[in-house]
Amino acid sequence: MRLAVVVQRYGADLNGGAELHARYVAEHLARHAEIEVLTTCATDYITWRNELPDGLDRVHGIPVRRFPVSRERDADDFARRSTQVFDEPHSIAAELAWLRSEGPTSPRLISYLRQHGDEYDYCIFFSYRYYHAYHGIRATGQRAVLVPTAERDPALGLRIFGSSFRGVRAVMYNSFEERALINAVSNNGNVPGVVVGIGSEVPLNPEPQRFRQTTGIDGPVLIYVGRIDENKGCGELFHYFQRYARLSPQLTLVLIGNPVMSIPAHPQIQHLGYVSDQEKFDAMAAADLLVMPSYYESLSMVTLEAWALGRPVMVNGRCDVLCGQCIRSNAGLYYENYEEFAETLQIIMANANLRSALGSNGRTYFDMHYTWPVIEQKYLDMFERLTLEDKARQTEPLPNWIHRHRTTLPPGRQEVDRLPGGPTTLVSYDGGTEPRADNS
Amino acid sequence: MAEFNIQSDSVDVAKIMEQIRQRIREKRGEDYTEQQIRELATVKLEKSLDPQQVRSDLVEHYRQLEPPGKLEPIQHEVPLPAPEAVAFDRDTIYVSSRGSMGKLIRLIRKILNPILMLFFNPDRMVSALMRQAEINAANLQILQRQTDLVKQINTQFERAGRKFAAREELDALNYEVLNNLVVEMTRLAVDMKNHRVLVESVAGRLDFGERRTRALESVLQSRSPASVEGDAAAASPARPKRRRRRPRRRPEAAIRGTGVDPVPSSETSDQKETTKSQPATESSVPSADKQVAEPEPSKTGIVESPASSVTQPSVQHRVPSTSLKESPDEIAPPVTPTMNTAVENEPHIQTTTPDSVSPVETVVPPFPKTDTDSDKQ
Repeated sequence: MRLAVVVQRYGADLNGGAELHARYVAEHLARHAEIEVLTTCATDYITWRNELPDGLDRVHGIPVRRFPVSRERDADDFARRSTQVFDEPHSIAAELAWLRSEGPTSPRLISYLRQHGDEYDYCIFFSYRYYHAYHGIRATGQRAVLVPTAERDPALGLRIFGSSFRGVRAVMYNSFEERALINAVSNNGNVPGVVVGIGSEVPLNPEPQRFRQTTGIDGPVLIYVGRIDENKGCGELFHYFQRYARLSPQLTLVLIGNPVMSIPAHPQIQHLGYVSDQEKFDAMAAADLLVMPSYYESLSMVTLEAWALGRPVMVNGRCDVLCGQCIRSNAGLYYENYEEFAETLQIIMANANLRSALGSNGRTYFDMHYTWPVIEQKYLDMFERLTLEDKARQTEPLPNWIHRHRTTLPPGRQEVDRLPGGPTTLVSYDGGTEPRADNS
Repeated sequence: MAEFNIQSDSVDVAKIMEQIRQRIREKRGEDYTEQQIRELATVKLEKSLDPQQVRSDLVEHYRQLEPPGKLEPIQHEVPLPAPEAVAFDRDTIYVSSRGSMGKLIRLIRKILNPILMLFFNPDRMVSALMRQAEINAANLQILQRQTDLVKQINTQFERAGRKFAAREELDALNYEVLNNLVVEMTRLAVDMKNHRVLVESVAGRLDFGERRTRALESVLQSRSPASVEGDAAAASPARPKRRRRRPRRRPEAAIRGTGVDPVPSSETSDQKETTKSQPATESSVPSADKQVAEPEPSKTGIVESPASSVTQPSVQHRVPSTSLKESPDEIAPPVTPTMNTAVENEPHIQTTTPDSVSPVETVVPPFPKTDTDSDKQ
């Protein structure tokens, strides 16, 4: 079996969620199939500037074919077009223009897929919202498998992506909440889909003592791992923690990751910056609790890693995915305001038995659903199913020029707002109904 | 496929979260939310302001006034330098710029001019072009004048913009001054109420002093002839002895039990309410009550004067309440230790103090904390 992994960026040192997801999937599926990665020469997702040479490359033994980006992103133009399609009635032409503006615009990659797509059994596209995925799916409709990595953001409400969700052979979802969202927005219930997620390679014997010796932290530790960003809810986390710290002077908040916002100078907040995987896992093993304050996550790998290490988590309850994961796994608690944050944190930190039970549940949940053999098998099962079905799916053609330019589409944000929310609690892998829990 | 049915015997996240939310609700109890506190603060502010005939919504009204947008100077592009005016005459169409060769070309054109006139009349075209050149020159002058005018207007506009910005700063200061005025007025309103209470207490004390003085005077006046008569009575046994009148004892509990309001009628209704709601305040001055309730006239042997049985106005202490539901009208200053000491040092004449007379205590109210204070914080 020959597979193509198509992703907007690819590299050993790229740590974006979807990019890392794609690399892990490519490297693990390489044990079962011949893999080739098709990507662009860009490494910066803001500018999409060509920084790597085009042509064939090899990353961790996987062949990578890079294609240049024809134009960098114009931030002003992208902002203007985003406002147009997210907040105003618009046309399909406006959405297509927004997609070109977003990038990474690489016509040569699409042309290559059009010419050589038949050489692959399946093309696995990552991140539905980028140029390569939309046009790549249209170029290789029968062979396209999509890993959407969708969140509840306004881009999901754009009409052009409905055809992507309906036009692929299969969709590999990250979570049940993501599947419910996409089903609701695109009505693609007849497209084969499975909730897969992503595995993680966690060391069996991390050394928490090494972390404590290095940092000199003795007391209880609350840890956050990831980009320190306002969009990740870190501002709210800092605000809450500083209030709570007055009640618990021994507790330390440890931050791991690159900051893109200012970190408050507080004696109980320690920022370690970007650290190696080993140091990260040592820190997570040493921590009493992982906090994940993000509002939007399609799947939090860090949360899964914490569970793999037997550590409980505390997540933002306004993120449907994280909240649903906690409820399904019985391995984490959630908060929606400061009172809940303080009370939940206090209960977890004061109750070692609860921490142990939550951590144990988390480890079981991870072992059952998110170890790599499980993930790989789900991909292989899906490919086998598609092979047996042998059902060619026709990509929906674009409407004619006049219809494309009619301003008849509602704002994307409005479309997303009308979608049902809340965590999905009663779920199964067989694609049955998924009643949503009331999160109130 | 496997179900997500991981259930620990002891952990159920949904139940734990419900318990946590229940605990939060219990902890919150009767507390007010921030929104409710803000509403209450607004109500109290209005109550404080209304008696002073100040518009209670003045600050809000001022705040709602939309500040005018900033006056931006007109951004006009600097006009390109005007094209040079071209002189145009009848020979211009024959001119060549090729130096000496140009003279030859010009000569040839002149020679061929008659042939050209066979096809059309170049004179008319030259006349029209000359006229157009004149019009262009005039337009250029007009354009130049307009450019100058725009520059002047822009200068004036910038000047007005600076004035406008200064005015906006002044408006902000005015708002601050107005806000401070309203805050101070609220504070003064509460302060004045407390001073009114203080004046009433001083007046009551003065009244008591005067009556006590009169009582003492009458006692002294009646004592001198009585002692003389007492000596005479001892000498004549036929005259019956005057029976000594025993002073009534009215314990504090008895006063309360009868439902008699110990507060004199001169007190305001606010004071009565405060007295009723603050029973602990009365017990805070037990020494005075005890002295009043249990006089010991036998030690002195002085006969009670009718004047001394006049009920004296007593000023009740007003204790500040921390309840958010109370209005500033109900806020009263606590008893300051200094003044209590002064009251205790008051020279009571216990021998003549009837049970219905209570010592007057005056307190200087501390500066009340108003809503506007908390708002400022």
